[in-house]
Amino acid sequence: MAAWLLALLGLAISACAKSSTGNSVLVLLEPSLDKANFSTFFNGLTESGYELTFRAPRDAKPAVIEDDVAQFSHVVVFAPDTKSFAQDVTPQSLVSLLSKGTNLLLALSPKKQTIVNSLAAEFSLILPPPGTPLISHFPERDTPATVIPVKPTENPIVPTKGLLPVWFSGVPFAYSPNPLLVPILNAPSESFAADSTTDSGAEGIVEAADKGGEGLWAGSQLALVAGFQAHGDTRVLWAGGVDMFSDEFAQKESAKGQQSGNAQFVRDAAAWAFRESKVLRIDSVAHHRVNETEPRETYTTNDHVVFNTHISMFNPKTSVWEPYSGISDLQLEFTMLDPHIRTSLPPVPSNPGEYEVTFRVPDRHGVFKFIIDYKRKG
Amino acid sequence: MATNSKAYSLPSNVSPETVANTSSLLRIVSLALISGAAIASRLFAVVNFESIIHEFDPWFNYRATRVLASKGFYAFWNWFDPTAWYPLGRVVGGTVYPGLMATSGVIYNILHALHLPVDIRNICVLLAPGFSALTAWSTYMFTKEMKDESAGLLAAAFIGIVPGYISRSVAGSYDNEAIAIFLLMFTFYCWIKALKTGSALFGTLAALFYFYMVAAWGGYAFITNMIPLHALALILMGRYSSRLYVAYSSWYAIGTLASMQVPFVGFQPVRTSEHMGALGVFGLLQIIAFAELVRSHVSSKQFQSLLYASVIGAGILGTAGIVGLTYKGWIAPWTGRFYSLWDTGYAKKYIPIIASVSEHQPTAWPSFFMDLHFLIFLFPAGVAMCFKQLRDEHVFVIIYAVVASYFAGVMVRLMLTLTPCVCVAAAVAFSSLLDTYIDPAEPNVPKEEAEATEADPGAADAPTTPKKAKKASAPPPTLGDFVGKFVVDEKKPHGIFGLNTRLAVILNALAMLVFFVLHCTWVTANAYSSPSVVLASSNPDGSQHIIDDFREAYYWLRQNTPQDAVVMSWWDYGYQIAGMADRPTLVDNNTWNNTHIATVGKAMSSSEEVAYPILRKHDVDYVLIIFGGLLGYSGDDINKFLWMVRIAQGVWPNEIQEPNYFTPRGEYRVDDQAPPAMKNSLMYKMSYYRFAELFGGQPAQDRVRGQQISKTSPTLDYLDEAFTSENWIVRIYQVRKEDLLGRDLKLANAFEAGRKRKKQKPPVRRRAIA
Amino acid sequence: MLLLPLLALFAFPLCLAATKDTREDLVRLAKAGNGIIKLDERTYDSLTASDREWSATIVFTALDTRRKCGPCKQFQPSFEAVAQAWNKVPATSRNEHFFAIADFDEAPKIFTKLGIQSAPVVHNYPVAEGPRKPAHGKPYPSTYDFSNGYAPEALAEHLSLYTPVRIPYRPPVDWAKYGTFAATGLILTTVARFIFPLLKSRITWAIITIGTILVMTGGHMFVRIRGMPYSDGPNWIAGGYQSQYGQETQVIALTYGILGGAFLMLTLVAPYQTSKSRQQLQVWLWSIVIFVMFSVLISLFRVKNRGYPFKLLL
Repeated sequence: MAAWLLALLGLAISACAKSSTGNSVLVLLEPSLDKANFSTFFNGLTESGYELTFRAPRDAKPAVIEDDVAQFSHVVVFAPDTKSFAQDVTPQSLVSLLSKGTNLLLALSPKKQTIVNSLAAEFSLILPPPGTPLISHFPERDTPATVIPVKPTENPIVPTKGLLPVWFSGVPFAYSPNPLLVPILNAPSESFAADSTTDSGAEGIVEAADKGGEGLWAGSQLALVAGFQAHGDTRVLWAGGVDMFSDEFAQKESAKGQQSGNAQFVRDAAAWAFRESKVLRIDSVAHHRVNETEPRETYTTNDHVVFNTHISMFNPKTSVWEPYSGISDLQLEFTMLDPHIRTSLPPVPSNPGEYEVTFRVPDRHGVFKFIIDYKRKG
Repeated sequence: MATNSKAYSLPSNVSPETVANTSSLLRIVSLALISGAAIASRLFAVVNFESIIHEFDPWFNYRATRVLASKGFYAFWNWFDPTAWYPLGRVVGGTVYPGLMATSGVIYNILHALHLPVDIRNICVLLAPGFSALTAWSTYMFTKEMKDESAGLLAAAFIGIVPGYISRSVAGSYDNEAIAIFLLMFTFYCWIKALKTGSALFGTLAALFYFYMVAAWGGYAFITNMIPLHALALILMGRYSSRLYVAYSSWYAIGTLASMQVPFVGFQPVRTSEHMGALGVFGLLQIIAFAELVRSHVSSKQFQSLLYASVIGAGILGTAGIVGLTYKGWIAPWTGRFYSLWDTGYAKKYIPIIASVSEHQPTAWPSFFMDLHFLIFLFPAGVAMCFKQLRDEHVFVIIYAVVASYFAGVMVRLMLTLTPCVCVAAAVAFSSLLDTYIDPAEPNVPKEEAEATEADPGAADAPTTPKKAKKASAPPPTLGDFVGKFVVDEKKPHGIFGLNTRLAVILNALAMLVFFVLHCTWVTANAYSSPSVVLASSNPDGSQHIIDDFREAYYWLRQNTPQDAVVMSWWDYGYQIAGMADRPTLVDNNTWNNTHIATVGKAMSSSEEVAYPILRKHDVDYVLIIFGGLLGYSGDDINKFLWMVRIAQGVWPNEIQEPNYFTPRGEYRVDDQAPPAMKNSLMYKMSYYRFAELFGGQPAQDRVRGQQISKTSPTLDYLDEAFTSENWIVRIYQVRKEDLLGRDLKLANAFEAGRKRKKQKPPVRRRAIA
Repeated sequence: MLLLPLLALFAFPLCLAATKDTREDLVRLAKAGNGIIKLDERTYDSLTASDREWSATIVFTALDTRRKCGPCKQFQPSFEAVAQAWNKVPATSRNEHFFAIADFDEAPKIFTKLGIQSAPVVHNYPVAEGPRKPAHGKPYPSTYDFSNGYAPEALAEHLSLYTPVRIPYRPPVDWAKYGTFAATGLILTTVARFIFPLLKSRITWAIITIGTILVMTGGHMFVRIRGMPYSDGPNWIAGGYQSQYGQETQVIALTYGILGGAFLMLTLVAPYQTSKSRQQLQVWLWSIVIFVMFSVLISLFRVKNRGYPFKLLL
């Protein structure tokens, strides 16, 4: 005799400028790293409209969380050599930031076991032992073996078309299975992680890995940059090292006479992390019986019910939410314990952003939920 | 006159009219007093506690009545309750006996039409006492048909205060039984009256009250089978008469058609085995009536024997037809509940959910005595007296007595159907005794005509002063005696010699009545007036201490949780949560979906990791448990836990196994020796979470089980303690949402606690070839 | 490094042979015992060896009369019947599962080793090696739950979970029952002529009816459904308000009967007396009987319900 209403949503989906959630950014920058060395990255952010606040990791002010309220919309941690942070920055507080709606951009330390490195495990990332950076002897180049040009891999977040190789130096990591992870940049297949640049102990490593039954820290399965979208839609960007954000790497040649793709790459990745790009939202949901307009509290079995929703996407250029009809595989579920009906929810061509479907309520009493569950990487 | 010897003298100058008038006045007054006593003795609960709905089922009835009162009858009929049996919901209109709610609804509307703005709650609370007065009256009418008015008054007094009936009808006990017993007795009265007079009017009246009964209580099947059984017995005794034919046919035809109008009953009267007896007897009666008709017109002896053969043949054919239809599946076989009355081991094996209810346990003799006191041994004496006269209506009482005493023995709950019969039979016995011994006529004297009676039983009256009778709601026995004097039993042989014997017997009898009143008062006040929502205990100084944990917890839920927060608890508390906290529940006392209950049982009896997905799937936000270990409240969930395990085992025999919850020695323990399945179960963890902390290092003692609980508290990773009531009776836990980072909640907790995580290795993808 | 697997390879057929031998031993033993192996310590160890490829059901019992184990004796026929039924299974499956019995007086060491303190106990040993090894892989025995009673049907049903094929147990045709039935019917038809008047007598019916009522209100159904014993040694009153023994039913029914009878005597018999003195004697006698028996009843009730505040003589 009835159906109930409730719409659940899990959305994540591309572009560039101001965030959909806020403009304040806190950068925890180690004193050893000069702000000027990262000017391309930071200035890029400022130009987009972000307000950057800098703070050394050990400073107490400005606090990350005050009175249980996150003080910044985004937090960037570039502190590869800092072992101890101020009291308000702990793995726990960083995680709690996510629940308070703050996005994170974290760079791992290739040398030390910092807070950030130990936090990685919580995000289903597996790190090699400290002091084992990524090494590759190919292609032949004048830089040390630890500074590697990486060809961007296909990923949903950073458009790779026309993007030149990206210089990388830092630590790689492996994934454990987690649907919330989004790979962005993978290591080149001829690279590996090792604690020395000489190849003397290579055989030993292989043997040890073989014996222990573990995989090798090598190959394209290792990741260098990854995105993570938590439940609650906050986003985290993991990078294997801070250097890729630096001016030096941005200006370095990766192909003859051309600057590397670093500047573009990090800007795009940050745009995703700061929820500028690929942000969708459901504006409204409505349901009613065919030939009626008002929703009912209960529907009778075998009623024909119309369900429609309106979805828009954030346009960072103009900072407005625009109707979005680009989803072709949206589905609606009518669920009581298990979905009784699962149907596609196609866009209405005449009305941008509008999706609508009509279906017959199953011949079953109970409390049903309308569920739209659209999860795509990116 | 002087020659007529008398044990004591009676005034002789009173006219018969005066006697008749006085006695009828006294009858009315005493019935009014009995009603008053019946109502008053049921108000202990209101006086001791407050005007509150009791126990479990009444909470649902109350909630349904509120819907009916506020939205009207039609909306109630179509009421789909989305908050019960979440997420399945419950079609209330079609799965409920609406008689009780309709009755209160009608009373409510009448009172409001009269501009008496009475709260619906008070109507519900006081409905049962009110109907108990009507029950007393209908019992009076019924017993009057058995013997006479004096026995009737005694029976009314008995049923008015007997604990067996009070147990189900105290103020606040707003359950179907509250009105059902009145309907039962009145239907029986109409049936007897119809049978005696052969009146179709009374037959129809019986049918109408039968319909009301069907609408009010599932126990109507008792009437459905008692009346045909009586009719069948009469036929077998060769007592077929046109009166029987008229009475039965009118009752069956109208009653069955009417009962099919109740949605919950529907076509059952023609489709289920419980009702086939009535149909069969109906058919048999038609055949016999036809045979009788033919016999009265045809004289040939051979033809008659042929006729008899055909009647028997038709009877056998009919029975075979019913059996055949049952096999074909047209007629449903007996339902489990009904079947378990015959095969007493059936329920435990196949329907543990029925066997788990305490009301469905067999009755030990102390319960009989507690509920019926001295009536219990007057009962066989009364039945014996019925055998002495053995009129048609006496056959009814005899059958009723046998059947009901068996049922009452099988199930505590059915004590209720036995009680009226006991009162009737006991009243017959008791009033016969009084008749014999109050009659002033000495033996060997021609019988006196009825005489005036004012001062004569004064001697017998002495122990019971009128004041006392009024106060203690004692049945004023002498009133019955007044009346008894007028009844002349022709067969009465000689009589009693002397005054001393009379006094001995009558004083003995009166003392018993007084004792009965004391007993009833004590039992009612001590055993049957607790609302079970509010508990009472005594302080060391003897004053009463009220334990109100249940309401505290339910109101906490109501105030602190969102309107649509789903609460999971064991089904006993479903109605209360719905009624008092107004939150959706997974299962409740209307145990219609065994699988759903088993799901809850499984969640409670498995480990957190297993239970969590079940909780999430059912959108459970809060889990509520009852824990009595601190206070010594024995009706708690740990004691019911084995039933949860059993019911879950019935559905998932591979995952939940009862023996795992016992120690290897077969003991049920909650202390250090508890088996791992027990210790890891959600129920155990929720019950004893932080329990040991209360004792501050002292050994933690569970006062219900009398066992020591281990000092380390169980840990909960998937639930948070949300609320614990003052005496720890109710504990509410909040189900955690999925982890922000998609981690297992156990790991997330370990992280929050700052514990180091084990170092992970990258997954092997391919084997290196060295 | 290489030696170890070689050794293992070598050992494998050996142990295979060993288990094969034990199996044959066991089959022989089972045959000798008519389907049931009588265990001593040695056979127990070989039957429950950790590399067994068979499953086993072992009942630990104490059948010796000195042990006074009533349930053991009650359970034994059921166990034997189920073991017999297993004999009917083809040999290939039959030799996959063994039934064995360990009597306390013949193999007390097993009892002490396993820490079994009560009997009977039924242990099911699952297969520890080979294809029939259970999914959970635990070789430990599970205990049969006696809550369903000692009936062979339930036992066979449960044990079938452990055997390779279902135990083909079928309850024996109860010839005795049918025989009694037929005989009673026959007798009834022959003496119907004499019984018929008895059936028509209301006295007969009154006795049956009142007897039933007394027994029921005495709590007979409680004793039957709960399977309460007749009495517990010298104690014939069960402690607690919600419990009772078989003997209590009798005592209570008798008390009710006497009380009810006394009332009937007063009402129906005494007035028939023609002699004044005899009548007075009767009336006084029955009044006293009522008073005394009622006191007895109340005192019995006080034993069951300790909080009951009223008392008469006792």
